[in-house]
Amino acid sequence: MTDVQKRADQVSLIIDGVEVVAEKGELVIRVAERMGIAIPRFCDHPLLAPAGACRQCLVEVEGQRKPVASCTQTVAEGMVVKTQLSSPVAAKAQAGVMELLLINHPLDCPTCDKGGECPLQNQAMSTGRADSRFKEEKREYEKPIHISSQVLLDRERCVLCQRCTRFSEEIAGDKFIDLMDRSSGEQINVYRDDFFGGAGTGDGQVGEGEGDVAFNSYFSGNTIQICPVGALTGEQYRFRARPFDLVSTPSACEHCASGCSQRTDHRRGKVLRRLAGDDPAVNEEWNCDKGRWGFRYATATDRILTPQIRDTKTGELREASWSEALLAAAEGLKAAKERGVGVLTGGRLTVEDAYAYAKFARTVLGTNDVDFRARPLRATGSPVTTTEEADFLAAAVAGITEVTYEQVENAPSVVLAGLEPEEESPILFLRLRKGHIRRKLRVTAVSAYLSRGLEKIGAALVAAVPGDEAHILASDAAVAEALGAPGALLIVGERLATVPGALSAAADLAARTGAKLAWVPRRAGDRGAIDAGCLPNLLPGGRPVTDDAARAALSLAWKVDAGVVPGTPGRDTDRIIAAAADGTLGALLVGGVDPADLADPTLAENALDTVPFLVSLEMRQSAVTRRADVVLPIAPAVEKAGTYMDWEGRLRSFGAVLKSTAMTDGRVLEAIAALLDVSLNTGDVNAVRRELGGLPGSTLPSPVRPSVAAARAAQPAENQAVLATWHQLIDLGSLLDGDQVLAGTARPPVARIGKDLAESLGLADGDLVTVGTDRGSITLPAAITDLPPRVVWLPTNSPGSTVRRSLGVTAGAVVTLTAGVPGPILAEEAAR
Amino acid sequence: MGTFTGSFKGFGVTFAHMFRKVITTDYPFSPPKPAPRYHGRHILNRHPDGLEKCIGCELCAWACPADAIYVEGGDNTDEQRFSPGERYAKIYQINYARCIFCGLCIEACPTRSLTMSNEYELARDSRQDLIFTKKELLAPLLPGMEQPPHPMLLGETDKDYYVGALTNPGTSVGAERAPISQGDAE
Amino acid sequence: MGIEEKLPAGILLTSVEKLSNYARKSSFWGATFGLACCAIEMMASGGPHYDLGRWGMEVFRASPRQADLMIVAGRVSQKMAPVVRQIYDQMPEPRSVISMGVCASSGGMFNNYAIVQGVDHIIPVDVYLPGCPPRPEMLIDAILKMREKVMAQPLGPNGRKMLEARQAEGRTPIVAPGAMPSSYRVDKVRREEWTQAVKEGREEQLRIENWMKLQPHLREAHK
Repeated sequence: MTDVQKRADQVSLIIDGVEVVAEKGELVIRVAERMGIAIPRFCDHPLLAPAGACRQCLVEVEGQRKPVASCTQTVAEGMVVKTQLSSPVAAKAQAGVMELLLINHPLDCPTCDKGGECPLQNQAMSTGRADSRFKEEKREYEKPIHISSQVLLDRERCVLCQRCTRFSEEIAGDKFIDLMDRSSGEQINVYRDDFFGGAGTGDGQVGEGEGDVAFNSYFSGNTIQICPVGALTGEQYRFRARPFDLVSTPSACEHCASGCSQRTDHRRGKVLRRLAGDDPAVNEEWNCDKGRWGFRYATATDRILTPQIRDTKTGELREASWSEALLAAAEGLKAAKERGVGVLTGGRLTVEDAYAYAKFARTVLGTNDVDFRARPLRATGSPVTTTEEADFLAAAVAGITEVTYEQVENAPSVVLAGLEPEEESPILFLRLRKGHIRRKLRVTAVSAYLSRGLEKIGAALVAAVPGDEAHILASDAAVAEALGAPGALLIVGERLATVPGALSAAADLAARTGAKLAWVPRRAGDRGAIDAGCLPNLLPGGRPVTDDAARAALSLAWKVDAGVVPGTPGRDTDRIIAAAADGTLGALLVGGVDPADLADPTLAENALDTVPFLVSLEMRQSAVTRRADVVLPIAPAVEKAGTYMDWEGRLRSFGAVLKSTAMTDGRVLEAIAALLDVSLNTGDVNAVRRELGGLPGSTLPSPVRPSVAAARAAQPAENQAVLATWHQLIDLGSLLDGDQVLAGTARPPVARIGKDLAESLGLADGDLVTVGTDRGSITLPAAITDLPPRVVWLPTNSPGSTVRRSLGVTAGAVVTLTAGVPGPILAEEAAR
Repeated sequence: MGTFTGSFKGFGVTFAHMFRKVITTDYPFSPPKPAPRYHGRHILNRHPDGLEKCIGCELCAWACPADAIYVEGGDNTDEQRFSPGERYAKIYQINYARCIFCGLCIEACPTRSLTMSNEYELARDSRQDLIFTKKELLAPLLPGMEQPPHPMLLGETDKDYYVGALTNPGTSVGAERAPISQGDAE
Repeated sequence: MGIEEKLPAGILLTSVEKLSNYARKSSFWGATFGLACCAIEMMASGGPHYDLGRWGMEVFRASPRQADLMIVAGRVSQKMAPVVRQIYDQMPEPRSVISMGVCASSGGMFNNYAIVQGVDHIIPVDVYLPGCPPRPEMLIDAILKMREKVMAQPLGPNGRKMLEARQAEGRTPIVAPGAMPSSYRVDKVRREEWTQAVKEGREEQLRIENWMKLQPHLREAHK
């Protein structure tokens, strides 16, 4: 026992006759795993706390009277462990447990979704008996019950390993699913009336009784993935395929800036399911339901597969050949170049495609009028000349990768501002929660109210009326104190842009306290678009457009004349839209922007109607393609290779999952540029990656932080309130189209009002309340929440609550409140 | 001398054959009966009430060494029921331009839905026609059978169907037993 | 060929067409070559037990220039493909091709880089014959179907036009030439049965029914 070198915090033990050194507190099953000894297990999961529920991992430990479960047994000095490989006792114990587990397990492997990738099936084949000694009736339950619109539960298949309940409790914090009942009737279920003497319907379906609580978690899909048997299955994939005829491809999620790695399984040209990939640095082994199930949009019926151009005679869009459409786009853009062309790119772009747009705007169109931000850039009604957010992004985000998931988990304290992590960056939420549970991470949230997501990460709320965040960041002592500890983090969301002075205050606060600053956008392509240069004030690589040396170096690398890339910052989204709407812009090149996401959808659509020439690079029919002069179809994420940059600045490269003839944005732009005698060289992702890697660095010191004075919240009058709003994870986003089942797990839209408003309007929970502006109104059931006085919260883009479209305002604006449904005048407005 | 008689001996053999029974088979006029276990074209069987035995589990497709079988599962609902239980084969195709008649698929079938007949006259003039779908593969409706979709007529649950499946009518009867053992050897 | 290209359709040549097709189908001369295991079954078909001589095909020609039927018997490797094509090119027209066995028809179980995935990638195929390998009866069945197809072939471009016109009007036979199993076609009663089944779209079910009638252990079930 002395041959092996070990540190003081290590112990040595013998497993199967081999001496091994292990950390104190390590589990025997992990040590065995490291040695290459596979002990069968069901309940054990490296990211969940030990449970010892299934007893499949029994091993013999010398000196112990009975076999012990290796998944709960920690190592000790001098321990002698014998696994099934060297101990007949352990082998017999494991075989016995397997026999017991199979007693009530139904023989429906041929129809079970897990069949073929099922740990129980595999281990029954390797260590189970060939025939059953159990002659009695098996226990039966109603087959499958819907515990949410997505997740189905087959209780007879369950081996009660409790992975799902432990995940829900420890990781997601949504304790909807639990062990219930006793003895042989013990089962996993959701809370239902019929367990508590209520009137259940008896068919086992959830949602029948009054008190039934469905499994409404944004992370419910993970329980399906970690279920070691087929007890939990997903409605969307159920019976669609078998694991053995799927082709798996590693991929990256295109839904948000969390940057999950994924596994996409497809069969014969059709994606059938997506699973969370295993990346300990980012998403560990989890993902959210949106990323898991939101992939049907790519196969929607309104997918555009052939280019379209507007017929000069009929004025209608008609299908055209690629060469005809590309030529039309090139000629139209060339003609419009004199008057100016604006480039709007959405949040779905890969880094490579964003770079293509940035390069196209600079070299082909000779403009800096390019902006990726398809969302409100500033508070409703504030002047379009402020460039606070663009300056902030240039100074504090572009090219900076300071904060990582690991730091979030290990930080002593985190301050969140303008960010609702569970809704806007779910994997960041899981990390925050892990830090909170495992390492007592202290979270302070500057938000309108303590949402369920914030509660789950134990956040201390600094209540902010929307519009007051800048003031709080600038002067609140609690916030500054929370950032005092070394390693503290300030995490701000993209919504902060709509509060004048908030981003300046955040950057100031970070500099003042020494805390690291992270900016978390909502969409997958946002962070990459900044570094790729899709901003009016930034060139690729975070170089300011005003930097002469950077421009000269880029012109050299791009092989264009020195004067082509303009040296003055261009117009941002709002100003491009305004210029298009008043007819001063010659053309618009739009890639993946939904006008409904912009600050004022009506103005945006007006601009799209007014602009003389509109080119749309789009995957599916949209408000833009319907107005476009040339529509060029491009590939969805699943049919192209590319890279997303997550909020950390980490590159998430992925290859094409499906073979397809669809082209990337970069390749289409390259073709247009070629017709205008410019070699864009963005058709091949590898070429773009090489080019990006070879670009020269900036010579200027990093840009200065913006310093905009902190604004205060608006003062609402009688019957008015300040609007708070953010997106819910599962909403009306166009990447969630085509999946009714997933939409069923969305949180029901409600209008949250404080007690003061409820009292003055005479409203109780669930009563209808109407929120209106001069533009229109939204009527939703009220949910009385602990909000600051005179604040109302609405989901930004959920069914029945499209804030930007219906109200034409964004967070911080003053809205009117009335009880009940709108009167005749309001109703007319709403109908319009 | 020996040479002379030798050649007559040779002609003798030829001559003698003229009086022997013709060994040439008379296909196609009286097609020969293949061995009982000859691997011919497949049949997708039915339960006694007409419901399909296939549950769309794709094990046949998995077993197939030539990748000739394509199956897509679907959900049975109470309104649209094609097989007992939860799952049925929405799409079932066997590509006879790939099938090598090895029979691994019928060994893999857990419900004895897929069996083989002795039919072999399969030549066609297009590859498309050689892809047999459920329309071609499903067994004919015997007396007492009803065209699905229809509710389960033989019991409350799918278990009632599988108990006693050995004595079902249709081509899956005795599919795993030698028919000869029933004392009829024609 | 000559005169038949110039004469208007339907005049004089319908009988010539029949005669010419009859002559063609009655003595197919196959090209002698085999590519793999299917060729063994093909050779068996030529022997006395199956005796292709019953259809005037006992002689496989040693030169493709004297053959008008090509039986691609076996998997066609990428290396063999140009050779097969050359043999085909050397055969005089009108010529026919039977793709014997699944490897020739689609690559069969050899879905890999070395095997042409179906001989129709290199030469036009008239009849595809599944099986691995097909038994001699299956080859005979394919040849008989081939003969039936040849009998229905138009002579010259005008004949083709006439056939196309007939097809456009929907005046096509209920059972397409070469679609009925040979053992059904040669028996008057069963031919009627099959034609009726095709009308009802259940010919494949008929086949199973008839097969069941022949199985002693299934006969009871069928009653």
